[in-house]
This record gives sequence, structure tokens and C-alpha cells, in this order.
Amino acid sequence: MSDIIQNYWQAWLWNDGYHVSGVAMTLWLLIASVACGFCLSIPLAVARVSSRRWISGPVWFYTYVFRGTPLYIQLLIFYSGVYSLHVVRSVDLLEHFFREGLNCTILAFALNTCAYTTEIFAGAIRAIPYGEIEAARALGMSPWVKYTRIIIPAMLRRALPYYSNEVILMLHATTVAFTATVPDILKVARDVNAATYASFEAFGIAAVLYACIAFALVGLFRLCENRWLAFLRPMGH
Amino acid sequence: MYKLTVNGLHKKYGQHEVLKGVSLKAKAGDVISIIGSSGSGKSTFLRCINFLEQPCAGEISLNGELLQTVLDKKGSQRARDPKQLQKMRTELSMVFQHFNLWSHMTVLENIMEAPMHVLGLSRAEALQRARKYLAKVGLTEQQENKYPAHLSGGQQQRVAIARALAMEPEVMLFDEPTSALDPELVGEVLRVMQALAEEGRTMVVVTHEMGFARNVSNHVIFLHQGRIEEEGHPAQVLSQPKSERLQQFLSGSLK
Repeated sequence: MSDIIQNYWQAWLWNDGYHVSGVAMTLWLLIASVACGFCLSIPLAVARVSSRRWISGPVWFYTYVFRGTPLYIQLLIFYSGVYSLHVVRSVDLLEHFFREGLNCTILAFALNTCAYTTEIFAGAIRAIPYGEIEAARALGMSPWVKYTRIIIPAMLRRALPYYSNEVILMLHATTVAFTATVPDILKVARDVNAATYASFEAFGIAAVLYACIAFALVGLFRLCENRWLAFLRPMGH
Repeated sequence: MYKLTVNGLHKKYGQHEVLKGVSLKAKAGDVISIIGSSGSGKSTFLRCINFLEQPCAGEISLNGELLQTVLDKKGSQRARDPKQLQKMRTELSMVFQHFNLWSHMTVLENIMEAPMHVLGLSRAEALQRARKYLAKVGLTEQQENKYPAHLSGGQQQRVAIARALAMEPEVMLFDEPTSALDPELVGEVLRVMQALAEEGRTMVVVTHEMGFARNVSNHVIFLHQGRIEEEGHPAQVLSQPKSERLQQFLSGSLK
């Protein structure tokens, strides 16, 4: 056990001698995909709740496809499938992008978490009491002000508990990244397992690392909830 | 010169005609009470004035400026220029039955929001306005950082009135402002409204409070089945109702 830690601690944490690896890589995958997914999902959620079919329909289709298929298959399609297409290889920019396993992974993860986040946010918009939106209109707010000042802030707050769950599920989902040769925590664990045959220790350490990250995330979201969800707390009188 | 004129407003829900040509004229300082049984169209009428509901026909003008409208495919009016409607709404601020405060904002944020992001006031100016109107509706600085859910219904409605006042509107619209309140909280809201009326603010109030209609307003409109059945000075309309409908209505609601 102490041998494993002594020989591999750098690989576990941030560098396996060639690349960024282990915890650093897992965190990068998580942050990059969740950040992209978050930014993209806000306008998509607004579109998703639109009463106009031609706006909400395509978003519904996108979230349906990405929530209806396994992430693992999405990753395989982006990593192997897309690169095998002639069109992609003939366009320089696409060729460069899809040759990198890390790019494909982040793209697949971002689109996947974006689909779930869009549905979470869309649900949160629907949960805003209609009267509050009506009040925004009645006070002369333009649609832009109404969305940016009232609807989206209210949506983000109401979605927070559900969104924190999505981020933790995404952390666990990053374990499929090795399929696209990305050296995350699980990849290091496999290497250690292959080199030492100490399977219990190798995967046990991986589990502990994931658990630590998850606990840190839970703590972080708890702080956010204390700050931004105070308006939903009963007063205790 | 009228502040607000509404001319021949019609509104349909499908085949059901809710408003069959309702008109209203308000001079500066007028307090107009709209009464009637539920389903008479009084709330719909008020909500049509600032286009929260789209009427099918009719004209609305504020300070002599006519709201330009076009008919959409469903036969409802839409503002030709959304900017004109938005500007008109800032001058017609509304108080709702269920307060409709933004629940994720504190009292102060609720009041400062529209002055800052609609009227373009600086934070300092908006804060000054917010404190001024909070004091006017009788709330203290201790309450200004609370969230709406942590206030009583009467306090929430007073915050909503302060939020409407902070727009410094030409006309205030009240949609049954005391109907969602516990009986013992009705008084505090009515007193605030009475003080506003005495200040000379122009108000259009949909209400079930006959005491308010009688003592505070200077004009009463009785709506029945989408038409004005009777209107006039409260002393006359409420004490010597001419129409049978109004007599029935008053005998049911006045104790």
C-alpha cells in the first residue's frame, strides 16, 4: 500500500510523467464539461419552455437524444465514429479537433451534462410562480430585462439542489474517459493494478479520491445553497 | 384633460365575451373603485388596461397618448411598438391580489429592481427611493433585508405597494389588493391606500371592500356580466342604487 502511494502519488494527483493525469485530469474534465454545459444550457432552458413549438421542439429533441442514450456510447461516437467520417477528416480544423481524445471527451461530456442541465433549468423556470413573471411585465420590463434580472436568477437558485446532484453524477461519469485514452484517476488506477496486481488497493485509492472530490463538491454546494436559497427557508418563529 | 382613458374595451375568451365595451375616464387625483360579483369581468378589465391580458377591441390612452395596437391572428390586440407598451406600464404600475413579489429578492431588492433596470436609476438613487416609499407604507429598516416569505401578508402587500410607488407612476392599478389577506391584516393595507388617495394619487381599484369604495373613492363603477351596470359618485351609487343588479349585489355584500 505504502509502495503504491510512494511510487505513484504524482500520477494519482497530477502528472504521470508524460501528461496531466489523475485528480488534475478528472477535475479538468469535470470543470470544462460542466462549465460549457452550464453556459449552453441557460439559453437552451429558456428555449425549452417556450410556447412556440419550433423553438422548444429542437431543444426537446436534443435533450431526448442525449438523455436517452448512454454516455459511453456518445463518447465512442464522438471519439471513434465522428473521426471515421470522411467529411471530418477532410476539414483541417475538424481533423485537428477530433484527433485529440481529450477534445472528444470534453465535447461528449459537455453535450451530455448540458442536456440534463437544460431539463433541470427548464423545470426550475416552470416552478417560478407565474405571478412573479407577470409582475416583471407589469412594471415595464422588456423581455431581456425580465429574463436576465428575474427569471434566470430565480431559476438558478431554485435549480441549485438538483444541479449539485447533476455535477456529482457527472464527476462519476468522467470514469468513462479512459475509453478515449484520457489519463484520469481511473486510468492511473488501472496502470497501478496492471503493474502491481494490488487490485484492492489500486481501485480503493481511486474510490477514496473520487469520494474526496464528491465531498468537496457537496460542501461547496451547501455553501451556495446557504447563500442563495435563504429565501426558501422557513423563519423558525 | 384625463390622465387615463379607456374606451370601449372588449375581451373574449374563446366564444365567451367577458367584457362588452367597458370605458373609464380618470382625472388626476381620481380614485375609481370597480366593484361587482366574481365573474363580472372587473379583474380582467383592470388587467386589460396594462395589457397583461390582450383585449379584442378598445382604446387606451395615458396622458393623451394613445397606445398603438395591431390585431394578431387570434383577434387580440397587441402593442404595435413593444417599447411604447413598456413605457406605458412603467407609468401604470400595478398591485396584485397575491402580491407577486419576487421571492428570491429581499424587500429592498424588490423595490429597487425596476427603478434601476427599467428606469435606469443609479443604485444610490434607487435606494433612496426605496427607503422613502418603505417608510411611506409603514415598514421599518429592520424589515428591508428580509425575504417576502418571512413577512406577513399585510407586510408583503405593503412592500408590493412600495414597489409600485417606486416607479413614481401616473396611475396606480390595484387588483383586489386585500382579497388574499387575513381579515385582521386588511386594515393596514387599506390605511396605506387611503393615505395615497389623500395625497392626490390617481388610482383605479378593483375591490370587494365597500367601506373603501364608499369612503375613499370618488367614483364607483359597478360591473355586471362584462358591462357597466351603474356608475357615479359613491354616495349616490352605493346608497341609492338604481339598478336591480346593484341592489342585489349590495344587499349581499353590505352588512
